[in-house]
Amino acid sequence: MKAVTIIKKNKLLFLVALAYAVIFIVSPEKATKSVGNSVYYLIEMLQVLPVIFLLTVVIEALVPKELIMRGFGEKSGFKGNLLALLLGSISAGPVYAAFPISKSLLGKGASISNIVIILSSWAVIKVPMLANEAKFLGVNFMAIRWMLTVIAIFIMAYIMGSFVKKKDLPTEASQQGVLEIKEEYCVGCGLCEKLLPDYYEMKDNKAVVKMMPEGKEVAQIVRESVDKCPSKAIAFNMEGNAS
Amino acid sequence: MDIFTILFWVIAIVLTIISFVKNKKKTLAAMKKSKGMMGNMMSEIIAIIFLIGLVLTFIPPETIKSVLGSANTYVSTVVAALVGSITLIPAFVAFPLVGSLVDAGASIVPAVAFLTTLTMVGIVTFPLEKKEFGTKFTLTRNALSFGFAVVIALTMGVIL
Repeated sequence: MKAVTIIKKNKLLFLVALAYAVIFIVSPEKATKSVGNSVYYLIEMLQVLPVIFLLTVVIEALVPKELIMRGFGEKSGFKGNLLALLLGSISAGPVYAAFPISKSLLGKGASISNIVIILSSWAVIKVPMLANEAKFLGVNFMAIRWMLTVIAIFIMAYIMGSFVKKKDLPTEASQQGVLEIKEEYCVGCGLCEKLLPDYYEMKDNKAVVKMMPEGKEVAQIVRESVDKCPSKAIAFNMEGNAS
Repeated sequence: MDIFTILFWVIAIVLTIISFVKNKKKTLAAMKKSKGMMGNMMSEIIAIIFLIGLVLTFIPPETIKSVLGSANTYVSTVVAALVGSITLIPAFVAFPLVGSLVDAGASIVPAVAFLTTLTMVGIVTFPLEKKEFGTKFTLTRNALSFGFAVVIALTMGVIL
């Protein structure tokens, strides 16, 4: 059982290892050459990996995201666009991690254009990743691609802003008073469990709801935990106070 | 190490020290979070790198060059953009992968198209995006992103 989970979790690595094992038997010479090629790229990767790690940490610790998030209303104009670009670029994680955060910003009045900017820049412009791109493809390549991408993102945001209206977006229809965790967005940081061990617990590196909250007072503390979730993966609707 | 890598190292270390001085607790918490995130990706990173080694051994650079370098740029760019839309590998490992192909002589234009659609267009994440933002938004955003990925790629081909 345990071995199966390990293999499942490292599917790709396992497959590659298997391929190497086969090649070592069939053609040891080619296998050695492949290892040699890999080691070259592995060393290159190890040179930038710590940099990416440190930059991610610094951004997380130093940049007040909440402050940036306040500036994206319908009328925030160009400044709002720049803030959106900033938020997307400094965030880590795959683009789908941006969905719940963008959704909650939409609920707080962010414009469609700004949401498009956040999603797109979140996807392609990653400050820590610039070091990686410069390393493997050159500084010129990185800089030119960065500039062209920013321009493209802004054009896209304006097209989307005039083409898609807020009424085209679905509205949240979850049941009132129900606490749920969107598993696909949970990053397994364990913060909710630490805050409210009575209501959340960790299972297989994902948070799950342990108990449904009841009563106004409890609803308030649960609400706070919802806001604190770094990936906005918790959904909770209080009476008449949907968000 | 080349000068730019060293530069990135210096910037990263200086910023980390500043962050530590300013808020030690927050920095440590951020480190823990990033460590978890990177730890999850580590096996995939190593796997892809060893895959690159295999690819380079069995498909020699000359072949890559003749297939990805000389074929019709427009066709190969659109194909690369399509492949990028479908696959879901982290950008993290995409750079060494694409870098190795370019080193081996592949044309830069499809490489850029691939890199851009890889992260910006998501066929796999389409249902998730649709659930959150609706069909019209998702369809328009992904279509526009695809189009612009090709435009960015072609423009880069002209500049570089």
